[in-house]
Amino acid sequence: MSDTDKTILIVDDEAELLEMVRSIFTRAGYSRVLTAGSGAEALSVCAAGHPDIVILDVMMPGMDGFEVLRQLRQRSSVPVLMLTARGEAEDKFTGFECGADDYLAKPFLPRELLFRVQAILRRTSPAAGHTVRLAAAEVDLENAAARRGEQVSPLTAKELQLFRKLYENAGRIVTTGALCEAVCGPVWQGYESTLATHIRHLREKIEANPSKPVSIVTVKGLGYRLDLPGAKGAAR
Amino acid sequence: MNPVKRFFRRYVFSTVGLLALLLAANILLVVGLLLISEVTPPRETFSITAFCGHLTQGPDGWQADAEATAMLDPGAWAMVLDPEGNVVWEYQMPDGLARHYSAGAVAMLSRWYLEDWPMTVWAQDDGSLVAVAQPKGSMVKYYLAMDKSYFSFLSMLLNVVVYANVLLIVALFLHSTRRVEKAMGPILNGINSMVGGKPVHLREDGELAEISAGLNRAAAYIVQKDNTRADWIRGVSHDIRTPLSVILGYASELEENPALPEAARVQAAVIRRQSEKLTGLVADLNLTTKLEYALRPLEVKQLDPVELARQAVSEVLNGGLPDAYALSFTEAAPGARLTVAGDPALLSRMLANLLHNCVDHNLGGCSIEVMVGPAQAGGCVFTVADDGAGVSADKLRTLNRGAPVASTQAPDPGGAAEHGLGLRIVQQIVRAHHGRLSFATASPHGLVVRVWIGGSK
Repeated sequence: MSDTDKTILIVDDEAELLEMVRSIFTRAGYSRVLTAGSGAEALSVCAAGHPDIVILDVMMPGMDGFEVLRQLRQRSSVPVLMLTARGEAEDKFTGFECGADDYLAKPFLPRELLFRVQAILRRTSPAAGHTVRLAAAEVDLENAAARRGEQVSPLTAKELQLFRKLYENAGRIVTTGALCEAVCGPVWQGYESTLATHIRHLREKIEANPSKPVSIVTVKGLGYRLDLPGAKGAAR
Repeated sequence: MNPVKRFFRRYVFSTVGLLALLLAANILLVVGLLLISEVTPPRETFSITAFCGHLTQGPDGWQADAEATAMLDPGAWAMVLDPEGNVVWEYQMPDGLARHYSAGAVAMLSRWYLEDWPMTVWAQDDGSLVAVAQPKGSMVKYYLAMDKSYFSFLSMLLNVVVYANVLLIVALFLHSTRRVEKAMGPILNGINSMVGGKPVHLREDGELAEISAGLNRAAAYIVQKDNTRADWIRGVSHDIRTPLSVILGYASELEENPALPEAARVQAAVIRRQSEKLTGLVADLNLTTKLEYALRPLEVKQLDPVELARQAVSEVLNGGLPDAYALSFTEAAPGARLTVAGDPALLSRMLANLLHNCVDHNLGGCSIEVMVGPAQAGGCVFTVADDGAGVSADKLRTLNRGAPVASTQAPDPGGAAEHGLGLRIVQQIVRAHHGRLSFATASPHGLVVRVWIGGSK
């Protein structure tokens, strides 16, 4: 199942915003987009429609987004992206405490919302047998293996973690620190040279010419970017 | 140290200093006067021994030379008594006085007076007694004699009284100061808190209850005013976000819709860009208000400034930077493992604002370089440099003075005021971190902004 086959539930009391968000996803190719105009409706749609992700507004009359999330978490682990019109740090923490997967403040750009939803879907529900096609190879995330032509190379656990992090942010620069943190956790200082070694090994498995990489690109001083074929990287 | 405590400590020290100065001045005065009196005696005083030196005993009895008689003041007189008490020589001795004195009378006159004439006497070798009477009222005679143990007791008493007085003065002064401090301290602390934008509520009792009540009213008014303003801005910023989301969303949709004519897509792009500006402005307005009214406390953590800068630069690049701009990042001391204490969200915002300022200020494009390295005084220094238009010398002075500014953008030709809050927020964030901010001209042109965070001041 590709990302665009996933079911998305959008919850907001503002009808025009609801329609606009639905339009963003429809145009991006998502065919299963559900909407709800209140917290109570969201819970019932969730129970009936089993969405793969919920985009939930925080400030709604009656039951607010946090309360909807609390009730949702009692019976489902569906990923939730919170939308808020306040942008307060406290809201963010409350959202994460209640079990939100990500948080986006209004106003937002459509591509920012799309990117975040795609990143959450890639992270939380990798499709069975999901394969990432690259310029010179394919990476089988399920079996942690890279196939280049007839050659199949297994990926180590750390290489897979790194690749997942890059794939979740495909087309965007992922900083050295963020990659180290994905592998080592919050205390990563001093791991930079080891990271470079892992990246080199990854390139040897997925690039046609590892010394001239086209998939995992080094962004000098900052980190790396995974470029997927046919997709234009945002950062050059 | 609390400024109020510092004030009172200084007050106590200065008063003790004044007391010490007073004591020293008294000692100097006494010593000075004594020295002056030694150097210039008031006048030549009568000396009985000198007088005796001019008195001689010859075969015809006692003789005084002219110098001896000249020594006597007008109204004074003199006599010599032989060992039997008879007057054997006299000079200007009043007639009414006796010419013979018993041993008791001699004892009395030698110590006190003779008929109110103060007497000065000197014994000669042959047992004669030279007695000189000074004019009446010209001399005072007192006789002091007491038991030695009583004199010691009196001396000790005097010392105790003097020291007890000094101690009492100091104790009373400290007590009085403490009372004033107790009464004034909360009021001064309250004023201090008000200056720092903190809430104030003082107890309205004691002698200064009215002042405390007045201060409470003023503080409540300021808080209410600030809250009203902050609530208004927060409310407006909140209410504007949802409509902006719709505008941004549809404008982006239209901009990317290939079915639309090119002109319509360009117009949609303009709407999208202006909406993004409005979005930034709303966010800036909200943040600057929070920083101004201390509504957002710093969430200080130990952070890696190099990674922080990498993320800020990556965010800008990931957001899509037009081709006219080149953005690069350099680590000044690779492998140095810098760590500073700061609020990561605010410092990221500071760097983002500096980067956006470079873009906004150089609409034709420029190269932007971000560098992070260790600072000499500890902590780190962030450098954001561009090779764009730069700023005028006047503007540079204004920026370095720390006066509130919006951006480095020049005012519109039509004279419109500056807009945007980017640099104002940078100033606020640097101030909140007790850091330092400097602006300089790049060579040959452009602007260099440096921010020092986390070092000793």
